[in-house]
Amino acid sequence: MARRYDTRTTIFSPEGRLYQVEYAMEAIGHAGTCLGILASDGIVLAAERRNTNKLLDEVFFSEKIYQLNADMVCSVAGITSDANVLTNELRLISQRYLLQYGESIPCEQLVSWLCDVKQAYTQYGGKRPFGVSLLYAGWDHQYGFQLYQSDPSGNYGGWKATCIGNNSAAAVSMLKQEYKEGETKIDDALALAIRVMSKTMDATKLTPDKLELATLTRHDNKTYIKVLPVAQVKALIADHEKKEAAEAAKSKPSTAS
Amino acid sequence: MYANPNSIINPSLWPNGPAPGCFFNFPGANVTSTSSSSGIITRTQSPVTTGTSILGLVFDGGVMLAGDMLGSYGSMAKFRSIERTIKVNNSTVLGATGDIADFQHLKAIIEQKVIDEDCADDGFTLKPKALHTWLTRVLYNRRSKFDPLWNTFLVAGIEDGEPYLGCVDKIGTAFSDSKIATGYGAHIALPLMREGLEKKPQMTQEEARALLINCLRVLFYRDCRALNKHQIATITKEGVTIENNIELDTNWEVANFVIGYE
Repeated sequence: MARRYDTRTTIFSPEGRLYQVEYAMEAIGHAGTCLGILASDGIVLAAERRNTNKLLDEVFFSEKIYQLNADMVCSVAGITSDANVLTNELRLISQRYLLQYGESIPCEQLVSWLCDVKQAYTQYGGKRPFGVSLLYAGWDHQYGFQLYQSDPSGNYGGWKATCIGNNSAAAVSMLKQEYKEGETKIDDALALAIRVMSKTMDATKLTPDKLELATLTRHDNKTYIKVLPVAQVKALIADHEKKEAAEAAKSKPSTAS
Repeated sequence: MYANPNSIINPSLWPNGPAPGCFFNFPGANVTSTSSSSGIITRTQSPVTTGTSILGLVFDGGVMLAGDMLGSYGSMAKFRSIERTIKVNNSTVLGATGDIADFQHLKAIIEQKVIDEDCADDGFTLKPKALHTWLTRVLYNRRSKFDPLWNTFLVAGIEDGEPYLGCVDKIGTAFSDSKIATGYGAHIALPLMREGLEKKPQMTQEEARALLINCLRVLFYRDCRALNKHQIATITKEGVTIENNIELDTNWEVANFVIGYE
């Protein structure tokens, strides 16, 4: 019975829902996890890489993490082709702004602009919404480091730590417990990201080819966006496993009765 | 500054595409006229009401802009209280030479930008260099369509704590310097300003004002389209002050030496 109202995006259902938007979010719920954590000295983005087929030609260095401009990077969850359209548009907007004003676009303005477009697709034209949620990590001189999340409805919010994609609810509740505001530096954020990803990803064991990590930091008045090389990801995973093993060893004597 | 989506990016969501719910008019179906259907000529114009020189000078701690308040209608001194130097915000001032109507057109657009910024209320405000860059793009694009805004602009202000002075002309040539003059000022006043700055590269505000006033006086003597009623705008970290209706003392005794002058 709900079916009658969801073939077109631009109409409400009798219960006041936009089914196409909800279905888009459903699609994202099945996509690879992405999480973002705001640290006092930077931002960490982590993403689950799903395409690990050996036959894949290494055309892109990163599957889900895209640099948008000099001061912003984003990661996507959802339909990849939709994501490509949106990230391309985000890059174009940034460059148009840079051409017009000679300075980087403020983070929230970029997010807000794209979200207005996403919203338009839920109200006009009879086109389906974009099946993508994005996490934006950026820096500007007014608000410093910022983390935003946007979804197919065109809604966006600023976050201290958040997650999108598969198992995102579990990840968000983990982050809620473990994220320490004001006490988190980049390295703490990286460790926390690995901890959360290892619990929420399908894989039994974390390996560098399944995980993408990127950081955004500032040195000497310049923004540095780095997708971590495999070696560094491996080292971080190893650290994490060592800590896990230590935790397990500590709790063993007390549980043995 | 607030990026109004309609001003930067495609104004329509689907350029040249079908309007929702309507039939689509396929392009190239009926080509009747070669020129634009409205028949308006958009070609290099000639300016109508014009403003003469604007002078800009960087001093220790700020920038100063000066210019007279005349709008000349050809050789007629028609409008004698035109403000050719305007405050954009607390850190930026804009001065214009050339067609007054084109200046007023841009002035309205810039004022709307400031309002949009206010509405966005996100802490970002137009900085002098950003305004200069934007102005350059607008002017260059207009000239590329053979429909220029017939002006030379001086953008002055404080950019990241440092004084900034930039110039852009009707064909989109842009540059920045510590001393700039437009119109006749470039020929008459600029050498005087250069001399002053060479003697003392870091002038005080009072010295800069004295230098500019002297230049304005010389311009009033020598530029036939000048008026002895000036504006001086000062921009420092504290903010913007624009003084209007400044009249200078002049000495026309030398006129007696002109043969034929009675």
